[in-house]
Amino acid sequence: MSARISAKTLRYLIVIGLIALWELLPRTGLIPELFLPSLSSTLIAGWTDAAEYGHALAVTLYEVVVSMAFACGGGILLGAIVGSLPRPRVLIMPMVSSLYAVPLVILYPVFTVWLGIGSESKIAFASIYGFLPTMLATAAGIQTIDPQLLLAARSMGATLSQRLVRVIIPAAIPTVLSGLRVGGALVIVGVVVSEMLISSAGIGYLISRYRTILDSPHVFAGVLLVLFLAIAFNAAIRWIERKAAIWQTGTRAGQANDEITSGAMQPAT
Amino acid sequence: MQPLANVTPLKPAARAGAIEVKNVGQVFKTRSQDVVALEDVSLEVKPGRFVVLVGPSGCGKSTLLMMMAGLRQQTSGTITISGAPIPQPDPDRVGVVFQEASLFPWLTAEDNVEFPLALRGVPRAERRAKAQDALKLVGLDGFGGRHPHELSGGMKQRVSIARGLVQDPPVLLMDEPFAALDEQTRMTMGDELLRIWAATGKTVVFVTHSLTEAVYLADEVIVMSARPGRIVDHLQVQLPRPRTYEMLSGDAFGALRDRIWRHIRKSA
Repeated sequence: MSARISAKTLRYLIVIGLIALWELLPRTGLIPELFLPSLSSTLIAGWTDAAEYGHALAVTLYEVVVSMAFACGGGILLGAIVGSLPRPRVLIMPMVSSLYAVPLVILYPVFTVWLGIGSESKIAFASIYGFLPTMLATAAGIQTIDPQLLLAARSMGATLSQRLVRVIIPAAIPTVLSGLRVGGALVIVGVVVSEMLISSAGIGYLISRYRTILDSPHVFAGVLLVLFLAIAFNAAIRWIERKAAIWQTGTRAGQANDEITSGAMQPAT
Repeated sequence: MQPLANVTPLKPAARAGAIEVKNVGQVFKTRSQDVVALEDVSLEVKPGRFVVLVGPSGCGKSTLLMMMAGLRQQTSGTITISGAPIPQPDPDRVGVVFQEASLFPWLTAEDNVEFPLALRGVPRAERRAKAQDALKLVGLDGFGGRHPHELSGGMKQRVSIARGLVQDPPVLLMDEPFAALDEQTRMTMGDELLRIWAATGKTVVFVTHSLTEAVYLADEVIVMSARPGRIVDHLQVQLPRPRTYEMLSGDAFGALRDRIWRHIRKSA
């Protein structure tokens, strides 16, 4: 118990140290303000243009939320189908796996041609980007359900639909959640990256625009916002995990799945 | 009214818990060849008996148990439980206990025990009451709120037994239920099972790899051989009950275990 608390405190200390360095290094002149503006000047830049950042955040949030609905909804649905039926699995899995090797960001210019430079192209790109790991994790989660559990349920007279609702879905939840974690993170990456490339609104667009005029404090204010977005998402997923998958505490399966999915799904940008 | 019911005028009460296996065969078809898993297996278990199936790996003892549970259909022959065939699982007639892995990890012990009742839409209050009784019977009073990962291996297996008993079926089938337990827990659980069996009067068919466990628990031991799975011996264990630890080192016990071992060595 004491070891865990001290690890937590250590984590806080590291974060505080990094924040302090962020303020101190530019102020003492060790790093030029152009490369790294101090935390205070970043915050001031963000505060003075709060309306602009607020609008950008709203655009980005909207794109993230819609993309997540597509990526997670589609990923879970298709993953469930692919995971439970061997025929589509044989058909689809090799294609999906090869898709991983492709840096999907090369498709983004095509999307802008098809859908314009507004939110639609970002949503299309980010949805596809986050869809793959969610689908793979769901498929894996359903495929790796302990057959003993299903056999036990059958021995107790469970019908096919009872097995689906009472065994397969709850058993797959931990893996699906770890897929959502990776998929959701990739959705955020996809939205911000596409905003930075070709766009007219959003946080990514702001970062990119301020960079071209070498306004570092404003660039870093945008970076900070994306950071908060990612942290908030992570906290939300953690909360859901605690609520929905209380039972995986202490099992190795949940952790192993986490490692596998997060290790294999490095963004290909 | 089925005419057959008139031809065989046996009272259902007299047959409740009886198991009859007649000329049962099982063939697995693989791409290259047909594998005979069971060949002409016949046995009869009287109500209330404790019967243990032993044999080398691949002798089909688990397959036979799955057929008695209605989880798998034989290629030939007939199996009746309490006088009727068992084309699919019927938890009112047969309870099944698997290895510990078969508890649902997202449910509490209580909810695990209630699971078969919930499947049939038994009202919540009745479910709860029956689960409490079953948990009390296996000595887990007060542990109902725990999840499987908060229970020891032996306790998990007690929950499994409670789940198998909760619908009060006359027959309890157990597929290597203690295989994952350490030896001390295994001995304790054996005594616990005998106590529960004596208290409920169920017919028990128990599959194990352990010869000591077989002789210690059983009224009758059925020894099977591998490839094809066949019954090679059917022993009556005449040791008095309750069984005690001291019997393990007795001559009668040793003679029975040796006899089983000789069969298994021959066929393995």
